[in-house]
Amino acid sequence: MKPLVETRDLVKTYTLGGETIHAVNGVSLTIEQGEYVAIMGASGSGKSTFMNMIGCLDVPSEGTVLIDGIPTGNMSSDDLAGLRNQKIGFVFQQFNLLARTTSIDNVAVPLIYAGLDTETRRERATAKLIDMGLGDRLLNTPAKLSGGQQQRVAIARALVTEPVILLADEPTGALDTRTSEDIMAIFEQLNAQGITVIVVTHEDDIAEHAKRRIEFRDGEVIEDHAVENRIIAVPRGEEAA
Amino acid sequence: MASLADETRATLTPAMERPKRNLFSSWGVNIAIAFTALRTNLMRSLLTMLGVMIGVFAVTLAVAVGNGAAESITSQINNFGSNMAILVPEPDDGDQGGPPRRSLERGRLTMRDLKAIQNEVPGIRAVAPQLRQPVDIVVAGNSMSSEAVGTTPGYGEVTVHLADAGRYISNSDVRSAGRVAVLGRTVSETLFGEFDPVGETIRLNGVPFTIIGLLEEKGSTFGDDNDDTVIIPITTMRQRFVGDTLAGPDDLLLAFVGFEDGVSLAQGKKDIVAVLSDRYSVKPGETTPFKVRTTEEFVEATSVITGILQAVLVSIASISLLVGGIGIMNIMLVSVTERTREIGLRMALGARSSDIRNQFLVEAAVLCTLGGTVGLILAWISGLALSNYADFPVPVGIGTALGAIGFSAIIGLIFGGYPAVRASRLSPIEALRTE
Repeated sequence: MKPLVETRDLVKTYTLGGETIHAVNGVSLTIEQGEYVAIMGASGSGKSTFMNMIGCLDVPSEGTVLIDGIPTGNMSSDDLAGLRNQKIGFVFQQFNLLARTTSIDNVAVPLIYAGLDTETRRERATAKLIDMGLGDRLLNTPAKLSGGQQQRVAIARALVTEPVILLADEPTGALDTRTSEDIMAIFEQLNAQGITVIVVTHEDDIAEHAKRRIEFRDGEVIEDHAVENRIIAVPRGEEAA
Repeated sequence: MASLADETRATLTPAMERPKRNLFSSWGVNIAIAFTALRTNLMRSLLTMLGVMIGVFAVTLAVAVGNGAAESITSQINNFGSNMAILVPEPDDGDQGGPPRRSLERGRLTMRDLKAIQNEVPGIRAVAPQLRQPVDIVVAGNSMSSEAVGTTPGYGEVTVHLADAGRYISNSDVRSAGRVAVLGRTVSETLFGEFDPVGETIRLNGVPFTIIGLLEEKGSTFGDDNDDTVIIPITTMRQRFVGDTLAGPDDLLLAFVGFEDGVSLAQGKKDIVAVLSDRYSVKPGETTPFKVRTTEEFVEATSVITGILQAVLVSIASISLLVGGIGIMNIMLVSVTERTREIGLRMALGARSSDIRNQFLVEAAVLCTLGGTVGLILAWISGLALSNYADFPVPVGIGTALGAIGFSAIIGLIFGGYPAVRASRLSPIEALRTE
């Protein structure tokens, strides 16, 4: 297996009121292609900071992050933007869709920055939305979609540049249990297709869907093992909108 | 863990090969984003545009008023007779204005001087002397005050003001000092209404004159009614009205020299000065007893004045455009703050800082250009209205229009620049965290 995300002695410190806080304190780990990882931990444990660094949204204070074998330490912010665009798909707790913008246009946003022309953008965005079962919601704005549908638009957007990693930060945090199960089923499918899925969550139920569980406390990894008796979510067909 | 060799190989491969962007397409996207953002905050966008609109309106109108003034003055001078030198019997020490250097020197200009000019200076179309006298005009049952002009047949040609009914004064009228008069339209209409007065008799300051013709209608120059005049032979004027007020029997108060089209007025003036200097034995550099000015010099002098007028107007108007620009900056800063999360999201999805900067620059430029266009249209309409109803040309030309649109886009880029750069420098994670 090929290491896809690799961190070496990763440290992130903040200075707050003259006091130095180690949000992430020397984390070295490797996530290989095709893994399905749950990153757990209480709020303040450093899991989100860690995720932001492997997502190239945040720069480590010390240590290195390698994405797909590429060290990111000396990259310019524009190169990091390119890396995020091409290699990483983000799914957020609050969906982060652009208001008053159709599903197609929301999904097409990363393709603008990939430099594709309007027609190709529309084609690819439409295809991804159909994959997500939203073929009949192409021209809806987020306000006209349910929470589950919005998160599926967001997943389509994360996947539209064909990234190798899907980074989801509390993807079900704003959804009810049934809808959460749908989203987890989608992740299951994507992982089966070979996409590396990394889910940050504080919910055990969600973490139990993953194949590997990494637990953070006080900026350090305290547990890292395969998940036994993992729950495999299955799609339950069309969601009652 | 990847081996060191792996890492090196990975570093050597070009990090991120993104296809080269279609520039046009990304500007198209930015314009679409800008319109969405403007629609989202419609009221705010309109109020912001109002600032630029008023600014562009004011500047455009100021430019147009200045151009109109220059145009109007030039056309009025041309209306009076374009290729012309004006001679006055006043001492001229070369300084424009100011008292003569030696108070003993008096001005001098005579009919003989004018004849000498006509004979010796090349390129002359016609010359005309002028003596003026306010007169009371009386006909049976009607009277008015006007001004009589004593002159020669050349006057009509030089001032481009000929008779279109009856005839103009002739050389024989001048030789015989005939009591004949050509009336301006204002005079004729005041005294006779619609009735054709040619052949009738009028009294000028009690002296009877026969009306031989009517001048074509000419309108006003600088508020002076050119049609409120009575043309009589200069000899008659001298004998009947002004003879004893002049220094000599041949003296003039004003003379015009009209040149052929295409003749250089500067050269013509030089020639006139040379002829007169010779006649009055004036050496170069000395004060001359006469003053020569050309229409060209009048146009130049007035264009300096209208230029200053325009500069003042435009400067004042620019202040409103500046205020409009500050409004743009203010609103763009608000917009960036409000959309920090969107900026973070776009960065997470792969937007480079230049993408974010361009997005906000385009938004500001669109805002300004829209406001500027509306301001321009309003200025154009006002210009038309002023031209039609105020009898003063306020031309909003295509150059002014393009300038106004271009200028408002530049205002957008300048005042949108700071907010846009600020947006582009946000850290993606900080921006995403913003609520």
